[in-house]
Amino acid sequence: MRQIYYLIRKEFKQIFRTREMVAIIFGMPMIQMIILGFTITNEVKNVHLIIGDRDNSRISREIVRSFKNTDRFTVIAYETDINRISENIQEWNAQMALVIPLHFGRDLERHQTPEIQILMDGLDGNTAGVALGYAQAIMQRIARTLQVPEPVIASSSVVVEERMWYNMNLDNAQYMIPGIVVVLLTIISMMLSAMSLVKEKEIGTLEQLMVSPLKRYQLLFGKIIPFLILTFIELGLVMTFARLIFAINISGSLLLLGFLSFLYLFTTLGLGVFVSAITGTQQEAMFISWFFMVFMLLMSGFFIPIENMPPLLQHITYLNPMRYILAIIRDITQKGAGLRFLLTDAVPMTIYGIIIFFLAVVNFHKRTA
Amino acid sequence: MRKRIVAIARKEFLHIIHDVRSLVIIFAMPVLMLILFGYALNLEIQNINLSVFDFSRTPASRKLVNQFAASKYFSIRYEKGTPSTIDSLFLSKEARAALIIDKNFARDFRNAPTTTVQLLVDAADPNAASFIKNYCNGVIGRFNDTHSTTFPLPFEIKQRIWYNPDMKSAYFFVPGLIALILIMISALLTSITITREKEMGTMEQILVSPVQPNEIIIGKVLPYILLAFLDGMLILLLGIFIFDVPFEGSSLLLILLSIIFLMTALSFGLMISTIVSTQQVAMMLSLSATLLPTVMLSGFIFPINSMPVILQYLSYLVPAKYYITIIRGVMLKGNTLWQLIFPAMFLLILTAVMLRNALHRFNLNLEK
Amino acid sequence: MKTDQIAVQTEDLTRRFGKFTAVKSATVTVMEGEIFGFLGANGAGKTTMIRMLCGLLKPSSGRATVSGFDVYRQSEQIKQNIGYMSQKFSLYDDLTISENIEFYGGIYNLPVETILRRKENLLQELGLQSEAEKLTRELPLGYKQRLALGCALLHDPPILFLDEPTSGVDPKARRSFWNLIYLTSQKGKTIFVTTHFMDEAEYCHRLSIMRDGEIIALGPPAKLKETHKKSSMQEVFISIVNGELPA
Repeated sequence: MRQIYYLIRKEFKQIFRTREMVAIIFGMPMIQMIILGFTITNEVKNVHLIIGDRDNSRISREIVRSFKNTDRFTVIAYETDINRISENIQEWNAQMALVIPLHFGRDLERHQTPEIQILMDGLDGNTAGVALGYAQAIMQRIARTLQVPEPVIASSSVVVEERMWYNMNLDNAQYMIPGIVVVLLTIISMMLSAMSLVKEKEIGTLEQLMVSPLKRYQLLFGKIIPFLILTFIELGLVMTFARLIFAINISGSLLLLGFLSFLYLFTTLGLGVFVSAITGTQQEAMFISWFFMVFMLLMSGFFIPIENMPPLLQHITYLNPMRYILAIIRDITQKGAGLRFLLTDAVPMTIYGIIIFFLAVVNFHKRTA
Repeated sequence: MRKRIVAIARKEFLHIIHDVRSLVIIFAMPVLMLILFGYALNLEIQNINLSVFDFSRTPASRKLVNQFAASKYFSIRYEKGTPSTIDSLFLSKEARAALIIDKNFARDFRNAPTTTVQLLVDAADPNAASFIKNYCNGVIGRFNDTHSTTFPLPFEIKQRIWYNPDMKSAYFFVPGLIALILIMISALLTSITITREKEMGTMEQILVSPVQPNEIIIGKVLPYILLAFLDGMLILLLGIFIFDVPFEGSSLLLILLSIIFLMTALSFGLMISTIVSTQQVAMMLSLSATLLPTVMLSGFIFPINSMPVILQYLSYLVPAKYYITIIRGVMLKGNTLWQLIFPAMFLLILTAVMLRNALHRFNLNLEK
Repeated sequence: MKTDQIAVQTEDLTRRFGKFTAVKSATVTVMEGEIFGFLGANGAGKTTMIRMLCGLLKPSSGRATVSGFDVYRQSEQIKQNIGYMSQKFSLYDDLTISENIEFYGGIYNLPVETILRRKENLLQELGLQSEAEKLTRELPLGYKQRLALGCALLHDPPILFLDEPTSGVDPKARRSFWNLIYLTSQKGKTIFVTTHFMDEAEYCHRLSIMRDGEIIALGPPAKLKETHKKSSMQEVFISIVNGELPA
């Protein structure tokens, strides 16, 4: 295996000799982690709201005040004309409008059940739904203060006491920050490995290596191992920084997390090398690995839960290594899961890595550019 | 001058055409992505495994559980043990949520104004947990509507939802996908082409001819604009037909603004290729600099308004943000040019800045 | 220095790519110590020939042995016993000269002292001792070429395959490169060379001319010139390729 050592040594020398490369490899994930870590929020805030208070009574003003007092909504205009409101929503100035009709206060006192209108931009269904929920909650709070207790015994309404297990406040950051770090490193590792082998094909040094007694698997190991070491160390670094900056708690075993991340990186690098082995030019390799990455990103459960996908597509996600590692990260950091519970994700992921490496060796075309 | 540009453009075009594999990838992959993600990116949950701990075991409690069972979103399973098993149920992923009905349920339901049940949700994935929570509350709400009379609200809330009243995920995501695909193809393509020539040294050959450097850049970029444009049209049409995404506005406007956007993306690629020396670095930079920011800071999935202020400012630098507004605006809201003037202007400004930077550096590089 | 041992032998060696036949039934025997040339236009099949003998391509049919090892079943042993240099020179531009040498030594599994010793020798031969830590991309083409040859010989293989090793190099450098080839042959190594430079053909002990995958002439340069009644290999080549029969 001495030969693999020489391959690794050469690779490291080449990487560190290009300053730009080093800057990207180490700089990009760190910078993006910091920036993007702050975007992660599931909370809907700052919804641009138009208030149309036609009544201007004490109660309507109180309603308006409630909406202004929360950072969930930002009142950007006062407008009672529905057409103007509609224009504003169309022109992306506001996402929601609250219209309180004339005589609202009076009708309320007369128990005539007046009607408040909420007008919404439904484009972003998710945000719209959440914003609507907030608005209704505010209204119901106010409604309860107005209510005169009726002596009628109505039958009960069921009220839910909710507990968010593992994550009381539905704090997104705890899970998504480590997720972002993994995503960033996936990008780097796949790109590095995808380009590396095919570059040697292009410049002709691969031919020289193929003529030597080096076996294919030795060559591939010689490509994967340096990147594995590099990205793994970087994963550790970026993750540590992330935990410090964003105050992430990890309930489970750090060692286990590290070990499984290592396996994951092996798998993604294997994937990259596989792409490199079957393509002829760096451009091709880049295209294919790029599409792979977008697929991995969007179908990993990171942005949209896998549970939301149609069953057929859920099955396709089994082909995505990122799906497994994100689940593993979730389970270790949030639930403190031990290895026993992680096996359903760890085992497929490892098998995937072995298979893909095997495929890379077998499909290694000696085609040169 | 035009003849020279055309000559360069033609050569570049022939290069591309002969590279059949790349062509297939350029056109097939976006289509694949559109179909895959158009269906996958869904705001509706498919199935929630709900574990039910019913300590009441009365008709009343069973009615409540049946309300869940009747919903197509839930798979119910009655649990025999105590709630202490919930942790391992969640760990082994046998359940995503648990409903605990205590033994006094029926009594409270008859006599008290409110009856409490406990809902525990596996919130390790907060995104999913939100969905699950909302669905559960929806079911309980429907139960309350049919089985109990609550005190009516003193006022009614009437909601009107404009643009996408059915809140279809595809309407929201498909335009965003188109933007995502476009920006990546263009940035990738340009950064590759210029750097590759630099590497291969053929750049110098062209430079000694009477062709101007600016003409070289324009000539090289033109075929890629065309390609990216064709690509964009293809997935746009597919998006409309496959996902029934409406098209309310002016197609001419969209074409015009799309071209502007393409120029922005291409300028970005150009700028990268002038900064960087090898193809490898160009690709890595263009990819890592576009992928995540475009997905996360452009409004594609996460609403920009909800982000910290700094990031809202940062998003002004992300071209995709403007285009997403534009494409959603034209397709779903029928926006006019005037209504989209700000995003359009910003795109033009960004293009101008990056292009100028690229040309400046290009000339600098020549002198080296 | 030629001996009576066979270094490379092929019999009806053929390689097809789909419908296209790149090499048709090539039968050649090269003795140890020979400088054997393969002459032909681009696309004639020279490179395919070499690649089959180096173990880079499997033949479609026919037999061949290199150093007594069979190309189908014993390609690993062949690889240990050959050196190869292509027209791309295949050195890593972003490694230093010293690093390139050490790398190729390590790839062939040479012990460390051997690598270092031979590295010193090579650097001395090339006069590059003081430049050893320079990046290979900074070397002039002529030096790169000789460095590539040196790296190919680092593990002291008995047979050397050179595929158009003098492409892009000026005539003076080409001459001195061929001097190197002679010296190497003197040490008892067999050298298999492809080229499209006619004057280089004259330097070979024996050569074959390929056209459209077939060997249409084989023999020492002097003999070929005599048979075709031409005074230079260039004229021989032209006449053969044009289909003129030997007089």
